Amino acid sequence: MQRRHFFSGAATAVAALSTASVGRAALAGLPEAAAPAGTATQVPPAPPTGRPFHPVVTLNGWSLPWRMNGGVKEFHLVAEPVVREFAPGFSVNLWGYNGQSPGPTIEVVEGDRVRIFVTNRLPEHTSVHWHGQRLPNGMDGVSGLTQPAIPAGKTFVYEFTARRPGTFMYHPHADEMVQMAMGLMGLWITHPRLDARGRHPQIATADRDIAFLLGAFAVEPGSRTPRVNEMTDFNIWSWNSRVFPGIDPLVARRGDRVRLRIGNLTMTNHPIHVHGHEFEVTGTDGGTVPPSARWPEVTTDIAVGQMRQIEFIADEPGDWAVHCHKSHHTMGAMGHDVPTMIGVDHRGLVGRIQKIVPDYMAMGERGMADMGAMEMPLPENTHPMMSGTGPFGPLEMGGMFSVLKVREGLARGDWRDPGAYAHPPGTVAREWQGPAEGLPPAAAPESTAPPATPAAPARATVRKPHGAHH
Amino acid sequence: MSATSHPQNRALRWSTLATALLLAGCASVSPDGLRGDVQAALQGRTAGADGALLPSPDPAAQQAADAAINGWLAQPLTEEAAVRTALLRNPGLQARLARLGVQDAERVQALTLPNPVLALGRLTNPHEREIERSIGFGLIELVTLPWRSRWQGSLREQDTLAAAADAARLANDARRAWLRAVAAQELLTTQERMHEAAEVGAELARRMARVGHWSRLQQAREQAVLADARTRLAQARLAAANAREALALTLGLWGAGAEAIVLPGRLADLPAAPVPAEGLEQRALRERLDVRAARLGLDRVADQQGFARVGPLFGEIGIGYQRNTTTGRTGAAAGHAEVQRGWALELPLPLWDAGGASGARASALVRENAALLQQTALQARAEVRMRWRGYRTAWELAQAQEQQVVPLRRLIRDETLLRYNGMLASVWELLAEARQSTQAVAEAIEARRDFWLAETDLQFALAVGSPGSAATVAAAPSTASPSSSSSAATAGAGH
Ligand SMILES: [Cu+2]
Repeated sequence: MQRRHFFSGAATAVAALSTASVGRAALAGLPEAAAPAGTATQVPPAPPTGRPFHPVVTLNGWSLPWRMNGGVKEFHLVAEPVVREFAPGFSVNLWGYNGQSPGPTIEVVEGDRVRIFVTNRLPEHTSVHWHGQRLPNGMDGVSGLTQPAIPAGKTFVYEFTARRPGTFMYHPHADEMVQMAMGLMGLWITHPRLDARGRHPQIATADRDIAFLLGAFAVEPGSRTPRVNEMTDFNIWSWNSRVFPGIDPLVARRGDRVRLRIGNLTMTNHPIHVHGHEFEVTGTDGGTVPPSARWPEVTTDIAVGQMRQIEFIADEPGDWAVHCHKSHHTMGAMGHDVPTMIGVDHRGLVGRIQKIVPDYMAMGERGMADMGAMEMPLPENTHPMMSGTGPFGPLEMGGMFSVLKVREGLARGDWRDPGAYAHPPGTVAREWQGPAEGLPPAAAPESTAPPATPAAPARATVRKPHGAHH
Repeated sequence: MSATSHPQNRALRWSTLATALLLAGCASVSPDGLRGDVQAALQGRTAGADGALLPSPDPAAQQAADAAINGWLAQPLTEEAAVRTALLRNPGLQARLARLGVQDAERVQALTLPNPVLALGRLTNPHEREIERSIGFGLIELVTLPWRSRWQGSLREQDTLAAAADAARLANDARRAWLRAVAAQELLTTQERMHEAAEVGAELARRMARVGHWSRLQQAREQAVLADARTRLAQARLAAANAREALALTLGLWGAGAEAIVLPGRLADLPAAPVPAEGLEQRALRERLDVRAARLGLDRVADQQGFARVGPLFGEIGIGYQRNTTTGRTGAAAGHAEVQRGWALELPLPLWDAGGASGARASALVRENAALLQQTALQARAEVRMRWRGYRTAWELAQAQEQQVVPLRRLIRDETLLRYNGMLASVWELLAEARQSTQAVAEAIEARRDFWLAETDLQFALAVGSPGSAATVAAAPSTASPSSSSSAATAGAGH
């Protein structure tokens, strides 16, 4: 495959490969390469074969079916170009496994013998590294080092025993930067082997076990393919290649033990924050954290290449935000070079600009919240910087953000969105209706003004909200 | 007026003489100073203003012209009205047409027969007194009259063509001046838009710096954009004013008339397709006035060559009638007068030049004029090819600018607006794209102007002469030579 075919020729090349190199006959003996339907969260059924386990729910994703073959659990991953809808109206050309990015979650049980067939339908070679696993060196998936890369059109087989319970990831280790920038990755859960009572001494049974991978993409507004050579200036921050409001809510019955498994295969860290509850980090991709080493948190930073498994009891009913605490990671596409316009007097200029650009409207003069409220036409296939609406108005979010919905009396397997939370009377922040004199004094230190600079002799930077005009 | 009979250069006959006298008698000054002929030659050569009239010395016609011009100036001046006005009002053309009348009168003057010479002599001797009375005239003038009359007609036609070419050139100049003036005004409006965009950007930048959002550096960048826009606006204003001035000058308007000119907002659309090159060279050879004039010149010198063989034979032939009275002074004869009557013929003997030198001169003249006709034709063909290529390329460039570049720039501006809406781009980027988009419009206006200029020049090259050259048909070498190189027989008859 030549370099220039990298994108434009990808689909054609794959089509050619799938009919030529990877013929039906060649794949006849392999487990069916299952594919998902849609982007909604697909709650897996109880395991039909093999050892029992409590399946995880992959947020806006799914788990890969397997077949048992002489006591070996056999999976079939197909690496291929996909189109992933990140949110309604915004789709991206990615590379994924079995029709989706990230790929399906592979769920096995501690001690399982696992055989994974990997078919490469990408335009270039690939490999799969089983991040965090104990396995024979030759199964580690580092092309060139521990195995030859899987050429385009070929199927390789990996086989090892899942020795350690925990949360893992899988991703390519051949042209790794590009292939991960294109979204080629997936989750791997090794469930603990349970005792006769269905328990594990150190690993609690979660009522709601939710998993997702953090993603970062550089998608030029108006385009539909990530810039694979971007290293720092990403504009799409995703969970399982979905962005708010395209991410499903995290639904729990009041009192449920909730476990979130969050893996980071981006190039920066993400402090994940849960509102309304404290949690503990109960595991990493290195294994279970001993109970004595856990401490309460409301935010845990997930560094690059890390996996964090957090647990809490969802005992506060409501709609609780869960998000990355880097605020720009909860935004859609934004112009990082756009200057601050707050408090800049536009009087007399708007009409003049409209003479030149008829559809111009002044924005940012009071802040950027205009963006959340005004639904202005955007470039095609562009996720707005701010979007999403709740019962009280625009949420002004757009990336790594979802809502933990805790409700009384939900059924065990009910993952449906219960709708907006009905607040008990008198429990919602409201506008003060009383007289201003009734307020406690708003004390301030002696001087709050910044030192005057020659460029700004007048202290004109403070603007009252009612100062808006035009 | 050209001779219709073609007498051969045979022996001199009385009948020929009579014909010559008749012809000389009907040579007269054109009553309208040849304007009708010019108007006819101008047909289809008035830069698209079909049937445009020339100025007339007639007061009624002048009044009608004034009324028409006032009507044209009362509304936005069309291209056609500009051409018509120029033909009616340009003083240079009026001078040119008057000069044509002068030439005509001078030629007719030169054609009148020579006055007879009356000679009186009184001779005495002791015996007799003799009074000699003779009336005589140079026969050559009379003998050559048919030829000279024909040649005068040819020269007159050539002069008419030259005047028509000058009028056509003026029509062409008027159309070009109109195109330039309209385009310059249109360009000024685009520069005003660009200036407006730069001004808003600079003002917003100033306000940004005032509240501390921008550095002096960022502000200065927008101010530099404004300064540049100001310069270009001033240049555009100057260009528009001067183009308008040049138009008024070409139209022969001044004062209130010049100020009354209202230019339309835009140039005409491009044609859907450029005219093909087929047949254009043939058309130029058929229609170009310089080619026609060169052909006239060649025909004339060829005719003159025929005469040159016999002309020198007549040389200084003179004929006269003589009456001598001899009166006796002495003797028986005293007081007796004797009268003698008779013809006298002066016949020089062609000992030294039997026509050899003038024959050689005449045939060289023919060769010269034949070569000049060929040169003119070659030039006409080459010019048509070059002008057509220029026209065709100008069409393609203007078409591309209008159909591709401008829409692309608009798309870029619109896409930038969408990015501005998404807070992905700043208002300065939006304004910069608006300026770029307007710049593309300005370039489209220039390209369209250049196309119509090229079209004007192509039409001129097809039907009149060399575009862009100040030389008139009269001054072209192909026609200057025959009129200046008259044979001995036509001396004094030229213009
Ligand atoms: Cu983040």
